[in-house]
Amino acid sequence: MLIYVGRRLLLMIPTLLVISFLVFAIIQAPPGDYLTNEINECISRGEMGCSQRIAMLKAQFNLDKPFLEQYALWVVGLLQGNLGYSFEHQLPVTEVVGDRLWLTILVTFATILFTWAVAFPIGVYSAVYQYSLSDYVVTFIGILGLAVPSFLFALILLYFANLFFGLSIGGLMDPQYIDAPWSWGKILSILGHLWIPTIIIGASGTAGMIRRLRANLLDELHKQYVVTARAKGLPFRRALLKYPLRMSLNPFIADIGTLLPELVSGAVIVSVVMSLPTTGPMLLDSLQSQDMYLAGSFLMFLALLTVIGVLLSDLALAALDPRIRLGGGATK
Amino acid sequence: MTAGPDGAQPIPHYVSAEPFDPYSVERVSEGQEKYFLASQWKLMWWRFIRHRAALVAGIFLVFLYGSVLITEFIAPYHQDTKDRRGVLAPPQRVHLFHDGKFIGPFVYGYSFKLNTETLKREYTDDPRKVQKLRFFCLGDKYRFWGQIEGSFHFVCPAVKGQLHLLGTDEVGKDMFSRMVYGARISLTIGLLGVGTSFILGIFFGGLAGYYGGWIDEGVQRLIEILRSLPHLPLWLALSAILPLNWSPILVFFGITIILGLLDWTGLARAVRSKLLSLREEDFCVAAQLMGARPARIIGRHLLPSFMSHLIASVTLSIPAMILGETALSFLGLGLREPITSWGVLLNEAQNIESVVIYPWLMWPAIPVILVVLAFNFLGDGLRDAADPYK
Amino acid sequence: MGTRGMTSYCSARLRGSMLALLAVLLAPAALADSAAIPAQFVEPPMLAEEVAKGALPPVAERLPSVPAVASMAWKGQTLGKHGGEMRMLMTSSKDTRIMVVYGDARLVNYDPNYQLVPDILQAFEAEEGRVFTFHLRPGHKWSDGSPFTTEDFRYYWEDVANNPDTSPAGPPVELLVDGEPPKVEFIDETTIRFSWSKPNWRLLPSIAGPSPLYIYRPSAYLKQFHEKYADPTELKDKLEDSGQQNWAALHNRKDNMYRNDNIDLPTLEPWVLATKPPTERFIFKRNPYYYRVDSEGRQLPYLDKVSFQVTDGKLVPAKAASGEADLAARYVRFDNFTLLKENEKRGNYRVRLWETAWGSQVALFPNLNANDPGWRALLRDVRFRRALSIGIDRSEINEVIYLGLGIEAANTVLPQSPLFDPELSAMWSVFDPEGANALLDEIGLTQRNDDGIRLMRDGRPLEMTILTSGQSPEEGDVLELIRDQWLNIGVSLNWKASERDTIRDCIYSGDCLMSVWTGLENALPTADMSPWELAPMSQVQFMWPKWGQYVETKGEAGEAPDLPEAQQLLDLLAGWNSNTDIETRTTIWQDMLRLYADQVFSIGTIAGVPQPVVVSNRLHNVPEEAVYSWDPGAHFGIYKPDCFWIDPAN
Repeated sequence: MLIYVGRRLLLMIPTLLVISFLVFAIIQAPPGDYLTNEINECISRGEMGCSQRIAMLKAQFNLDKPFLEQYALWVVGLLQGNLGYSFEHQLPVTEVVGDRLWLTILVTFATILFTWAVAFPIGVYSAVYQYSLSDYVVTFIGILGLAVPSFLFALILLYFANLFFGLSIGGLMDPQYIDAPWSWGKILSILGHLWIPTIIIGASGTAGMIRRLRANLLDELHKQYVVTARAKGLPFRRALLKYPLRMSLNPFIADIGTLLPELVSGAVIVSVVMSLPTTGPMLLDSLQSQDMYLAGSFLMFLALLTVIGVLLSDLALAALDPRIRLGGGATK
Repeated sequence: MTAGPDGAQPIPHYVSAEPFDPYSVERVSEGQEKYFLASQWKLMWWRFIRHRAALVAGIFLVFLYGSVLITEFIAPYHQDTKDRRGVLAPPQRVHLFHDGKFIGPFVYGYSFKLNTETLKREYTDDPRKVQKLRFFCLGDKYRFWGQIEGSFHFVCPAVKGQLHLLGTDEVGKDMFSRMVYGARISLTIGLLGVGTSFILGIFFGGLAGYYGGWIDEGVQRLIEILRSLPHLPLWLALSAILPLNWSPILVFFGITIILGLLDWTGLARAVRSKLLSLREEDFCVAAQLMGARPARIIGRHLLPSFMSHLIASVTLSIPAMILGETALSFLGLGLREPITSWGVLLNEAQNIESVVIYPWLMWPAIPVILVVLAFNFLGDGLRDAADPYK
Repeated sequence: MGTRGMTSYCSARLRGSMLALLAVLLAPAALADSAAIPAQFVEPPMLAEEVAKGALPPVAERLPSVPAVASMAWKGQTLGKHGGEMRMLMTSSKDTRIMVVYGDARLVNYDPNYQLVPDILQAFEAEEGRVFTFHLRPGHKWSDGSPFTTEDFRYYWEDVANNPDTSPAGPPVELLVDGEPPKVEFIDETTIRFSWSKPNWRLLPSIAGPSPLYIYRPSAYLKQFHEKYADPTELKDKLEDSGQQNWAALHNRKDNMYRNDNIDLPTLEPWVLATKPPTERFIFKRNPYYYRVDSEGRQLPYLDKVSFQVTDGKLVPAKAASGEADLAARYVRFDNFTLLKENEKRGNYRVRLWETAWGSQVALFPNLNANDPGWRALLRDVRFRRALSIGIDRSEINEVIYLGLGIEAANTVLPQSPLFDPELSAMWSVFDPEGANALLDEIGLTQRNDDGIRLMRDGRPLEMTILTSGQSPEEGDVLELIRDQWLNIGVSLNWKASERDTIRDCIYSGDCLMSVWTGLENALPTADMSPWELAPMSQVQFMWPKWGQYVETKGEAGEAPDLPEAQQLLDLLAGWNSNTDIETRTTIWQDMLRLYADQVFSIGTIAGVPQPVVVSNRLHNVPEEAVYSWDPGAHFGIYKPDCFWIDPAN
């Protein structure tokens, strides 16, 4: 077991290195770089002193060095905990990401809770009452969340929430609470704004979870031990909850690993539409303006989350399910 | 009944008075005989039909894809025809009765007024303009599949009339026709993209699952890297790389390949895990001992035993492709005018005016939703039916 | 966002060259507002508490000894009351610079007649356009209380502009005349003189522009970051904290007055940044040492606070419609008008329509410097450009997209300008498909392919890809209509949206054939404003980027103009520069306009499309009718936002 963990940890390192190289290359791939973008923006805005300022920045941030050298400098910086400097905001990356990360975690948490809260009953119901009309209806609702284009739906919800509840459009709280110290009013305002992104982002995750839960539960329900239990007179609910349900929870745990990065980056579109102060819009902006360090460091952070998350969920699965622990590879 | 030793009553049971037939167990009824003799495909089909929603979804999709073949015929207008007198016009309703008399399907013409205060175009039905629909008529010219010129339509507006079943957009193009033309692009993107990921998934998954060992490790690392690699910058980078002077069609193909390249990992993992367990089976060992080459074993023996699962999961990835295309359009990376796809249409509707003032511009969301639902139900049904021997 | 004309860079530099000279001719010493200085000054209530505590000096000591008196010159402006917060909507944290644009505190500024008058300066003289004497207001202080004197100018000139570390490229080009730097004399604490040997007509307009040239810095604050003045160990500590590489980088990071993102940087603007970036909501608080008062002695600005909420560009019209902004025009477009008008009651505002000053809302620029030989020949042939222009049905565009409210015209000056000539407006812009076909046949493009598209001499079909910035969907809509119209004359059109710099690069390198932008930046000129936009003067002019760069860099880069008509425009411009009497200048303008329109160097479509401006019912002193223009005008700047007020009762 320990050897397994150790091996996985060791394997993580080359994986992350390769990812870092790919990420860096991809960010640089579109033609031009942050500075040429800045120059052009500056000139077309009619600002003064553009070329001087840019020349200074260029020399300062090693942007005139070759690609591999820039990459090496960045990686070394990362390993030392220095995430770099954002050109666009003219601040260190950590300051730019700062608060946004907490808000992102908040939204992600709420979304995960929502997804489970919706998917769980629907999945169970749909497996138990397979092929009934209510099965279809309930699955329909679950899949509807996936099917509706999230960006359009977000805009619609924003408008109607404003029309009927007077909710300010976009953002995670009313404007007067932004940067204000914490108070009940602020918390209530956040909750009032939180439900829209939670529903929209969470709804698209329900379909997959329903399907997996349903499939696994169906597999279990048809197994001999369940049939035996029922034949022996065990009430259905107990027969259902005690064993088959636990078996079918595997995919939930297996999913945790990939769930977080998926939610953080998959919510980019909804975050952009709703103008949420989360990491999604920041990431998109930094990619479009080729703000190298901000985009690169944040993406590496996400990649790290994924890799660790996958490892953790594999370990959790192994801990929970003895079959995986004791099972082996091929015997031939 | 005789009482037991303690005088307790025995459990009541039932004994049939009919003569005993020792072969009753072996005789099969009609239905059972059919069931036992049915082939695998037949069993799957019966299982499939049980899932009513999947059946309905399947029929709907067949119908939709069929319509893709005759897009130009179905759409009342060409996708680029602009109606100068019907800009941002609301949908027209088809009526059958006018003044109490039945005249056949018709629409009322538009009566237009510009609200000078709000600068809004206001259209109302003009009961004096009765415009009867023509069927199987000659209307807008088009090029069938881009090759053959024609102008035969299923339904056209009345001569000098207008037929906007779902209204018009901000330059006067008919929304219904645009949606029909958009269906062709959106539905085929799904197929092409999925085809790419299918091939890649089977290839890599098969390699990893069959050979195991370090090939397996390598493929797993590759999959892990691809999954950890964030898709957003990849999309941005790949779209920025597509040259500026590529024609829209080439861009279209480029986008489908991109979508497919990023999507095969799920399939590969499924194939790999299935193969890992299946290759211990006796039939596989037998084939190996008989000297079959790995490719033959994988292709002829292993894969078909869970092809149904593959088909089910492929069916479920098509909606992801379609939604991915709409997402790319939203980010400004996907298809653009002059190509019309549902993603392009949705992107054009992505503003507050479409939500509040011109809601018919949001209609293209409906076919997207329906198609995604349909594919999901279909996939569910296929997956349920996939293992009929369960 | 589309209010930045590509030429505003040059406009600030080259604009209104002789406005200064005009000022010279009319009045050798231009004085500040000569309205009477009030005897008593009124303390803004927001600051009363601090004054009482002694943290701030009383208002009479905070103002300069001769404060500027607001003239309330725009129609409908009245005296107001202190207090209130004005909420506005922006889309990025970089938009803190917009506060500088709207604040509009400049050394010299435009008055309602677009004449340059002293603003921060108490007075200035401009002799022969080459010797400028500036008189500061004694007692004028920065927003942190430190004195604003010629020391700040000296610090800038000697320690920033001419310091090789902070300005590796030397002083800004607006301060150089033919490469010659000025002789700068610091006569006393409030007087400074810049002299050149030849007229510098760029100086005053660039000082007055929306993104101004700053020839001063808050020296008391900045000296702590300067190697020459700072304590070495303290500077080293600051350097380590900030993560900058050297002191010059740190200094440059801290002194960006236009970008306005340094919360500690003192300013002369009416409102001072009070929240540190990055944030979703920027608050600007009143500047206690602001130098303007109203005629009854109240220290301006009236508004205590201005807040910018950062949101997505697409949500701005929605938020404005629900009343979340007190003043909004940026990121609001003509097609948002209906929504805004319908929600006036719910949002408690009124939406006004202001005039725009562009020569054309959407203009096409054929690239005369294209590389491809076949296309190059065609684009340079005036008959081809004329055919393309008359092949456009502007009335259809006007009716479909602008509800018939625009003016169908070529890319030339607007009717409100004294230089307007209806003949020029209609030149080569009246829809005439037969004429267009005839012209194209005349050129020799008689062969067509199966789709009806004409073939070039080498057999390639006439298919163009036009680049657009994609900032506004209306550009795509206009192009869509044009595409159909050009099919009738056998030209096939495609368009692609790209980032602005990609467009620039592609056009500049000659790989791309045509681009779309707004038309003339200032289409309401008078004869004494420079007609530079009509001649190849800058590389950001998309119809002749290489010629423009050639002229801009004085022959060091780019290509010399080789079309005789382009050279003619340059000669006429030189004539305008050297002649100062009005009749000659008017004639020159008219000649240039005629040549420009006749040669169809840019294809204009619709002009005069109004700009919706959302003004809350609580906010007063915003003009009902006005011109919304970047330079001159600074959008709201020229209407003096420091005079906008909110009734506290509301």
